[in-house]
Amino acid sequence: MRSLDELKNFYDTILYPELNVLEAHRIKARNKILIAAAIILPVALFVLMYIAKNASGNSLFFVGMIVFFVLGGIYHFATKEYVQNFKTGIIEKLVKFIDQNLEYSRNNHISQTAFMNSKIFNHNPDRFNGDDYVKGKIGQTNLEFSELHAKYITRDSKGRTQEHTIFKGLFFIADFNKKFNGKTIILPDTAERIFGQLGTMLQSMNKFRGQLIRLEDPEFERMFAVYGDDQIEARYILSTSLMKRITDFKRRTSRTIYLSFVGSKIYIAVSCLKDLFEPRVFRTMLDFTPIKEYFEDLQMAVSIVEELNLNTRIWTKE
Amino acid sequence: MSMGLIVLAVIGFFIIMLYNSLIGKKNQVENVFGSIDTLLKKRYDLIPNLVSTVQTYMQHERGTLTEITAMRAKAVSGNLSDDEKVDLDNKVSKMMGGIMVAVENYPDLKANQNFIQLQRTLNEVEEQISAARRAYNASVTDYNNAVEMLPTSFMASMMTYKRKQVFETAEKERQNIDVKSLFNK
Repeated sequence: MRSLDELKNFYDTILYPELNVLEAHRIKARNKILIAAAIILPVALFVLMYIAKNASGNSLFFVGMIVFFVLGGIYHFATKEYVQNFKTGIIEKLVKFIDQNLEYSRNNHISQTAFMNSKIFNHNPDRFNGDDYVKGKIGQTNLEFSELHAKYITRDSKGRTQEHTIFKGLFFIADFNKKFNGKTIILPDTAERIFGQLGTMLQSMNKFRGQLIRLEDPEFERMFAVYGDDQIEARYILSTSLMKRITDFKRRTSRTIYLSFVGSKIYIAVSCLKDLFEPRVFRTMLDFTPIKEYFEDLQMAVSIVEELNLNTRIWTKE
Repeated sequence: MSMGLIVLAVIGFFIIMLYNSLIGKKNQVENVFGSIDTLLKKRYDLIPNLVSTVQTYMQHERGTLTEITAMRAKAVSGNLSDDEKVDLDNKVSKMMGGIMVAVENYPDLKANQNFIQLQRTLNEVEEQISAARRAYNASVTDYNNAVEMLPTSFMASMMTYKRKQVFETAEKERQNIDVKSLFNK
């Protein structure tokens, strides 16, 4: 585990010179966007005003959409090189700084199969993408994680499509240190928090997920609802110490987390609204704060192995 | 007339629901108890293996090893009541714990590959047994709640269902450590 002081030192000696070079790329990319916007927006405004006088609201909406997409496209192309350089220059170095054994690949992500195998989310995604894939071995535990965004699409009666997010955030997979056969799923407990005892009753009727497993740790029970297909196996996996570790992890990250144990692996989904590991375009990167944020997000994922004690191999699984 | 029939049917349906839920809970308890039994047997099966591995090293614990072998023989012979099973299991647990502590005095044994593998297997079985006990306690609590809470308690008293005991840790393990006596030594 790297300390903040070590990070500061690393920032001063290695990252700062890199960031200095990147800063020039950033300013170039930002200027391109600003110039493009300065040209497109007045034209768009003129067209919109013209249409507003002569045509219906529908075409107004249509033109608005075009402007939005054109600007989005320009943003993407203008920042492409900068983002690439930032990821290889900064994020990859940060990953290596946390642990030499970790490999970083900026365009890869956790596969959709692995995502579905976790059984955490039931909805089949129509759009599935992600980036910032990290893979490696900490101690005896293999792990991989990446940023993911899974969405499904619905169509209303007018044929308009709408996107719904199934999950957005950091998705983590590691080898679990105990052998087991069935599946155990730990979901954030919304029903119990809102409805109390009645919520528990509703949960136990949710047969789709499997049996509701009621555990003896009251704090854990307040935060999560556990489903599984074997009452004993679920408790074999969720030892009292692991429950404590999970509640501590949840409290420290203060994000919505989902966990599951399937096929001798542990899956953890930490949901997060903003895009992770992306550089700032309109503000300077020559600052320690964003670097600290990237570091903390990466460290959070890597530290799961230690926090959940996955390197303790006192059971039959090597 | 038909109204009366409907009310009667609803009441009948309600009674069946209560009855079934109680039966379900009782069976759940028995089911989990059965699993504990299986796991205990799994542990008893490891004992001869453990004894044969450690006996060449452990010269001073001969007595303990003979005793634990005898206990195992008694346990697998069958015809024990549930209480006797639990009691015997407690004794075996304590003895196994003693052996594992004694192993610390034998570095050769600790490094023995066979023993290491055996220790891992034992750890796993112990962990599973503790999980099964927790599952048992959870299902007993569920059952006891049904026996004592309304509306199932009416049904339970008619079916002469009684509270069941949860597993408790052995008296020895539960005692608080007397710090004062530690310092007086």
